[in-house]
Amino acid sequence: MTAFGREAGSTPAFGPVRAPLGRLLRSELRWVLHRPRTQVALGLLALVPVLIGIGIVVTDSPAGGLLTQIAGNGLVLPIAALSISLPLLLPLAVTMAAADALAGESAHGTLRGLLLAPVSRTRLVLIKAVGVLAVAVAAVAAVAVLGIVTGLVLLGPSGSTHGLLTLSGTEVGPGSALARVSLAAVWTVGQLAAVGAMALAVSSATEHPLVVLAVVLGGLIVFGVLSAIPALDWLQPVLLTTGAFAIADVLRDPLPLDGLASSSVRAGCYLLIGLGLTLARTATREA
Amino acid sequence: MTAGQVGPAIRARGLRKMFGTTVAVSGVDLEVPAGAVLGVLGPNGSGKTTMIRMLLALSRPTAGTVELLGAPVPAAAGEVLPHVGALVEGPGFHPFLSGRENLRRCAAAEPLLPSRTIPDAIERALHRVGLADAAARRYRAYSLGMKQRLGLAAVLLVPRRLVVLDEPANGLDPAGTREVRRIIAELHADGTTVLMSSHLLTEVEATCTHVAVLDHGSLIASGPLAALLDGEAPALDVRTPDSAVAMQALRAAGIGAVACPDGVRVELAGTDPPTVVTLLVGAGVAVHEARRWRTGLDELFAQLTEGNGQ
Repeated sequence: MTAFGREAGSTPAFGPVRAPLGRLLRSELRWVLHRPRTQVALGLLALVPVLIGIGIVVTDSPAGGLLTQIAGNGLVLPIAALSISLPLLLPLAVTMAAADALAGESAHGTLRGLLLAPVSRTRLVLIKAVGVLAVAVAAVAAVAVLGIVTGLVLLGPSGSTHGLLTLSGTEVGPGSALARVSLAAVWTVGQLAAVGAMALAVSSATEHPLVVLAVVLGGLIVFGVLSAIPALDWLQPVLLTTGAFAIADVLRDPLPLDGLASSSVRAGCYLLIGLGLTLARTATREA
Repeated sequence: MTAGQVGPAIRARGLRKMFGTTVAVSGVDLEVPAGAVLGVLGPNGSGKTTMIRMLLALSRPTAGTVELLGAPVPAAAGEVLPHVGALVEGPGFHPFLSGRENLRRCAAAEPLLPSRTIPDAIERALHRVGLADAAARRYRAYSLGMKQRLGLAAVLLVPRRLVVLDEPANGLDPAGTREVRRIIAELHADGTTVLMSSHLLTEVEATCTHVAVLDHGSLIASGPLAALLDGEAPALDVRTPDSAVAMQALRAAGIGAVACPDGVRVELAGTDPPTVVTLLVGAGVAVHEARRWRTGLDELFAQLTEGNGQ
């Protein structure tokens, strides 16, 4: 530290001082989870499985797809609810968190405060990524847990094993059923982490949270449209939305893992690209 | 305490910032001695905030270098910024959190604040800016002045060696303005170097030891407050009802003067006050009062910016 040599003695020489990472992460999680909009979003997401469950009990005439499997087979409900929420509702919650994480903080002038403290820009991205991931986990947990509870209370477990009737027609026990629901939840968190990372990348490039929502949700809709056009089949491997139906695989017996794995690898690629772009943009961002 | 610190607290060399083809700050050389209170004066849009943002590594200079407390910025920002407190472009806080919660969030990011001292540091800072009673209210419900105070509280969470305040009196009532002056005076007494920007000339005159005047992105004057004031042409204000007679007598003696509403202003170039007064009394002018005229800083400020603006 030759630059500070002349100040050694009566003044404290500067050293590389940083706030404890744990303290910063706790502060971020507290901020993210105390925010009214996060709590409202989590509450509304938790209503999704409840509404589906009530709908099935009341109408007694299932609409189709996964829903045909639910009546009298309650543990399908959390998986159906996750599957229904995955295209838009869950990404909306995660994108909202990512939009607030950098663009929103910048708009409030609070990003400046963090950079002046100072929190290094790399650490800032790390902390923000953890905050967004926390919202993804909380959102998936809200849907899955309320799905399990509603499914068991309103529809009951399946048959003699008190577990799950799979799409393949076999029955599995309650332990295996819960493991399958957990697998679906973890896989969903992975998909959402990819969306969150891309949303953070957009968030690092603007100070308007609304732009982040528009770009990311617009992007997901465009992906959906592109994957519906047969002539653009060759695009399928690079679209994040391609593997979305793999979640139904957890209802098959024996469990086929390749669909879940390939969509997770694809999500991992999006995650890395998103975080890379966020780091690059944040490093040079004017706050 | 800055007793052992030799170099200036802030040293900027050739600082320049372009936004596209617009020059926001051009070639600013600034040196702020340790322990000084520097007032950066300039009309709106003169580049004050842009300069401050570059000093604090929030914005990258197009050209030029910055040293804070002897360390290069932004290279050593991580080491030097913990010792620097700053309130830039107004206070930034989360509307849904209370004042205290907002400070908790700031405190968590302060490298020099040990975790166990955070609650105490927050209460002390709230008390010091007079927000202790409103600390539990949401920031959303704060008045402009309270928001500004909370911004100051965040600066005061940690003892600093350098404090940078961008328009600290913005939105404050007279009582709040006095408190800001008191806080700056306390910081000064503790040996903290302070840089504050303002377009309120009286603010700078009341609190600062040094002044820098920015206009159109250029530093057009800087130095100790007293030196800048004395740098102007010295003059003597003479209050008299006989200004016509006085003007005549002075002109005859080859001394420059201009008529004022209630007397004459005499230029002291090549002469001194006793000579002028003797001359006037000798000419039969009733001298009610003679006072050394010092340019008020606003006069100086107006002269400087107008001269440059044309």
